[in-house]
Amino acid sequence: MNLLFKNKKITGILTILPANEVKFEDEMEHYNFSASKSLKLKMAMGYNTHRIAEKDATISDFCVYGINYLIENGLLKKEEIDALLLITQSPEYFMPPTSNVIQGKLGLKQDMICMDINQGCAGFEIGLYQAFMLLEQPEIKKVVLLNADLLSQKVSKRDRNSNPLIGDGASITIVENSESENTIFANIKMDGSAFDALIIPAGGFKTPSTPETGIMHEDTAGNFRALDNLVMKGDDVFNFVQTEVPPMIEDLLINAKINKDDIDYFMFHQPNKFMLNKLADKLEIPREKMPSNIVENFGNASGVSIPTAITFNLGNRLTKESFLICMAGFGVGLTWASLIMKIDKFNFNQIIYF
Amino acid sequence: MGKIKQQIAELLEVDEVKENDILEDFECWDSLTILSIIALASEEYGKTLFNDDIRNAKTIDGLIRLIDN
Repeated sequence: MNLLFKNKKITGILTILPANEVKFEDEMEHYNFSASKSLKLKMAMGYNTHRIAEKDATISDFCVYGINYLIENGLLKKEEIDALLLITQSPEYFMPPTSNVIQGKLGLKQDMICMDINQGCAGFEIGLYQAFMLLEQPEIKKVVLLNADLLSQKVSKRDRNSNPLIGDGASITIVENSESENTIFANIKMDGSAFDALIIPAGGFKTPSTPETGIMHEDTAGNFRALDNLVMKGDDVFNFVQTEVPPMIEDLLINAKINKDDIDYFMFHQPNKFMLNKLADKLEIPREKMPSNIVENFGNASGVSIPTAITFNLGNRLTKESFLICMAGFGVGLTWASLIMKIDKFNFNQIIYF
Repeated sequence: MGKIKQQIAELLEVDEVKENDILEDFECWDSLTILSIIALASEEYGKTLFNDDIRNAKTIDGLIRLIDN
């Protein structure tokens, strides 16, 4: 489905990552594979270090820390926040929404909207689309888009398929109406028939957690995980991405009447370096235009991966320059979405550690 | 036939492979090798393969028939 948005802009991104850094080598002993095989995987996938939050940390801790940082540094005013939009798959409770918890902790005004959306790998795109729609309301001038996930808590340490790449973190993106005219071309597709390609099977209302759902089982590849753990069908996800993402981007470019060469950066979701390089090659995009360095430095924190790629790779340059970027998210759902927009002289674009 | 055998040999990190070699017997046989085979099949042969297809192929011959039939 094609989507179109007019006169919207991002005015700043802050990424909040855990201070705790874990090296691939330090976790190798948990895997049921020889060291040489694990090191080969590390090379091929571009694994190195990832950021893992403390066990008792919650997403509201990260979001509140980040918003307070912006307030204390004069980059955001409390009373300006008309909407808190939280995209997460690590909610603190089934009820209430975690965005309400954050609103309460911060002491924000009542005259606003809080909303949680359950999305993952395409969570930055979904969040932007929803923010753009909220901004059509005359009284909504500033949307604070929060992407936050602490999924490492749900990944088995003995799962070499998912553990080396998982990351934790949060990002805050300020979305506003633009005084100058612009058009944002976007699209989105979903395939719920493959809902179990990426799933945490137990812990919800359908299969509540019990002592049995916590028991580890070995899979055909030699990984150990329980029904309480996140499980990814790596082959299904790989095939899905290589099949669906290139045509989505080609369609988007045609629809926007923009040449591939005119895009400064392809800021894509960061599953691993292997998959991103394959995508760049298939799309005939120079690899340096598609950063793939987030998993090796921080891990993949789901919807936080694109804001992390933007803050890490563009940093302060984005407070002085402008770039035409194409973003794409793909994964859990299955969901895949992409958009092209100009990002121009942010008020801030940085990473902080918590 | 020669080309695909050579490509598979490279992924399995050996000089050459024989039709009746058993996939699981290769020293480097693991999920990464399987993913590399999935990528090869997708990029060069336009075939979508899954982990189970490859594990069930058992031998080099079975794998070649899967990728290039």
